[in-house]
Amino acid sequence: MNNTSQTIRVGLFFLLGLALAWITFESLNGGRLFKKPGYTLVAGFANLKGLKTGDEIRMAGVKVGAVELTRLAGSRVEALLSIEPGVKIPTDAVASVEQSSLLGSNYLGITFGTPGGALLKDQDEIKTKVTVDMSEVISQLGALGSKLEQVADGVSKALGGGESGSSSLFGKLDKLVTENGPKLTETLNNLQDVTAKLKAGEGTMGKLINDSKLHDELLASVGEIKQAAADARTFMGDAKLIVADVKSGKGTLGLLLYDEPTASSLKVSLNNLREVSNKLNSGQGTLGKLISDDSLYLSVQSTMKKADRMIDGLGDQGPITAVGVAAQSLF
Amino acid sequence: MNHLTTIVGHIGGTLLLLVRSIKFIGTLPRQRARFIEQCYLIGYTSLPIVTILSFFIGSVLALQSGYSMENFGAKQFIGTLVGLTMARELGPVMVAILIAGRVGSAITAELASMKVYQEIDALTTMNIPPERMLVLPRLAAIVVMMPVLAIIANLCGWYGGALVCEYTHSISVDSESYFTALKEFMKPHDVTDGLIKAEVFGFVIVLVCSYIGLNTRGGPREIGASVTKAVVTSLILILVLDYFVTKALLMS
Amino acid sequence: MSTSSTFTASPFVGKTFGITVAKLNKKFGRTTVLRDIDLEVKPGEIFCIMGPSGSGKTVLLKHIAGLETATSGEVRIGEYDAADPETRNKVHLALVFQAGALFNSLSVYDNLALYPREHRECNEAGIRERVMHALAILSLEKSANKFPSDLSGGMKKRVAIARALVMEPQMLLYDEPTSELDPVMSATLTEIIATLREQTAVTSVVVTHDRDLAFNIADRMAFVMDGRIRGIGKPADFKNPTDPVIANFLNPVIDLKNPRFKQLENSHE
Repeated sequence: MNNTSQTIRVGLFFLLGLALAWITFESLNGGRLFKKPGYTLVAGFANLKGLKTGDEIRMAGVKVGAVELTRLAGSRVEALLSIEPGVKIPTDAVASVEQSSLLGSNYLGITFGTPGGALLKDQDEIKTKVTVDMSEVISQLGALGSKLEQVADGVSKALGGGESGSSSLFGKLDKLVTENGPKLTETLNNLQDVTAKLKAGEGTMGKLINDSKLHDELLASVGEIKQAAADARTFMGDAKLIVADVKSGKGTLGLLLYDEPTASSLKVSLNNLREVSNKLNSGQGTLGKLISDDSLYLSVQSTMKKADRMIDGLGDQGPITAVGVAAQSLF
Repeated sequence: MNHLTTIVGHIGGTLLLLVRSIKFIGTLPRQRARFIEQCYLIGYTSLPIVTILSFFIGSVLALQSGYSMENFGAKQFIGTLVGLTMARELGPVMVAILIAGRVGSAITAELASMKVYQEIDALTTMNIPPERMLVLPRLAAIVVMMPVLAIIANLCGWYGGALVCEYTHSISVDSESYFTALKEFMKPHDVTDGLIKAEVFGFVIVLVCSYIGLNTRGGPREIGASVTKAVVTSLILILVLDYFVTKALLMS
Repeated sequence: MSTSSTFTASPFVGKTFGITVAKLNKKFGRTTVLRDIDLEVKPGEIFCIMGPSGSGKTVLLKHIAGLETATSGEVRIGEYDAADPETRNKVHLALVFQAGALFNSLSVYDNLALYPREHRECNEAGIRERVMHALAILSLEKSANKFPSDLSGGMKKRVAIARALVMEPQMLLYDEPTSELDPVMSATLTEIIATLREQTAVTSVVVTHDRDLAFNIADRMAFVMDGRIRGIGKPADFKNPTDPVIANFLNPVIDLKNPRFKQLENSHE
């Protein structure tokens, strides 16, 4: 082996190695084999969240440098940012640790700041902001969940599911309805009476329903009913407002439901009502007999069925559908 | 003498050899010819086998990881896996194993035969320390050549993996996304860590093989025994050191 | 062949050294190789160490060369400890190994040139002059570019001596210089050793079992048997040795009727 050619080969081989090393480092993360000229900024954080030496620095997603060093500095952590030359970062740009993927690769993001403003120089400190990382998001999701649970709890309580049902809105309504049961029964009773008469074609209303000739006239009046439905919509809007008022304790009904003295007086009157209903239950007086009599229930049932059928009949005519649509759009 | 003291003695002897060799570092410039000859023998002549072996290591790595990563849909990370494994682990270790087998054995055989045929004694009486003439140029050559071989091994492994990814039907990750994945999670220090490892391995191999060669006693038969001992010791040291060097590099 | 007539030693002017071996003991493991060796080699003399194979004479020579360290006792070259590596910076000491110990990876020329090159004693032209001169002494000019593996045993020995000469030694140690050499080359070598001593006043220690060599050149001689000094004196003292062991070594009677190996059991002292 000729000595000169050996020397040349070794030299070439070594140069090849150097070139390959340079290419490798250059293509990996912009090559920090030789420190690039540029400038260094200091960024202070409360938590670096795993940002480490060599991680990228991106300005609006474009790589502008790399983290040169991370260190503890008293009660905070500092990252030295090596910024490529020619990259202008205004003083009001804000740096934050960002996550490039769920798998936990971090980079340091820098915002644009005000274009044309004063620029940061070597060794200046850049403003930073705290960002959430995945673990924080997850823990906050957990907190959110528990809050939702509380809300749902409250709602269910308000709906009367809670033990203190009497104090909630629906509890109170419920009470009102149950305690006024006898009165309702009476109303239904009357209704049965009325419908019976209607069926039999007695009275004006009865004639109206049973007489097929009147059908056309009824159709004509549907238009008006439609108008009435529109009115009903506005009315429902108002009603909503009223409900809101009621909730916040405004107005009579509000006072009735939420105001303590009113509620207690309501209670007194309800007590009286209960006394009356007790009397009714024991069959005292005319009304009492009416209620305790079984046959009454049966007749009420048949009345209800008839009313059903009548409403079905009306449903075909349209206006009910209109009301349904109105109701749907409202709720 | 029991085994423990023998081993401690060998460790001490090896370190002493190192110190004696380093002492002559100033003579390196005028041993340039010997240094270049060793560079040639250690580095240049190892190039083909390093290239071929690391290329196929990278290919197999890609093939195997492609097969297993497909199961949980992480095929796009093959580049990362092959890149990091080659750079941090397999590149340096494979080159070291090759060097132990190819260069370490040759060093031990040469020095052992010199010892057995009294050439070492002749050098000593001529007041030419064997450490200076025989060990130092080899140590210097491996220090210079090992990173070169390691970086070539890395690149060959990466390209081997890329080729397999692109042309294997069941993987078919095109080389562009392969290299994107490779670059995405790799930092320059991953490569430097690998080079440092290769450097450490190469240095230890040459030192240990030189020591074992120079401490051969007896006749020609002992030369073979010494070569076996040197290669086995080198391989054990590579893998043991691998653990500790990796640990040290990961902590730093 | 009159190589010795062409020989003119380099004008080496330097101190010559004597050798003092005092109470030297050497053990390899449990085997004792040398026991209580005491001898003195005066500066400038040719001292022959004779003895049968395996008697420890080569080990003794290695102690003088500083290749072995004594188990006890000491070897001094002049005022320096032979075992101290520093001694070799102060004394030019050359050892001619029995098998030559040439560097197989180097050509004959490079083998000879190694010493002056390593020690940067002169420029390449000066080295060439010295090397070619030494090669000429041993009529090896034609072999300058050969490699040791191409040489016969005798050639290797001559190259080894040439290599020793290039070192311009103050002390020359020969380990069996004439073994494997033909009678003419043996005679040449004997002349070379004697001439070298005359011209450079180099101290020579010759380990040999070649009677002719020893009696022709030795100023004094020692007999090493079984690791001990059996006798020391001038060659004349051993012309008619009184010690039967030495007599038997120097003038072994070949008795085919009553072979030695059969006497061994009886004559073992």
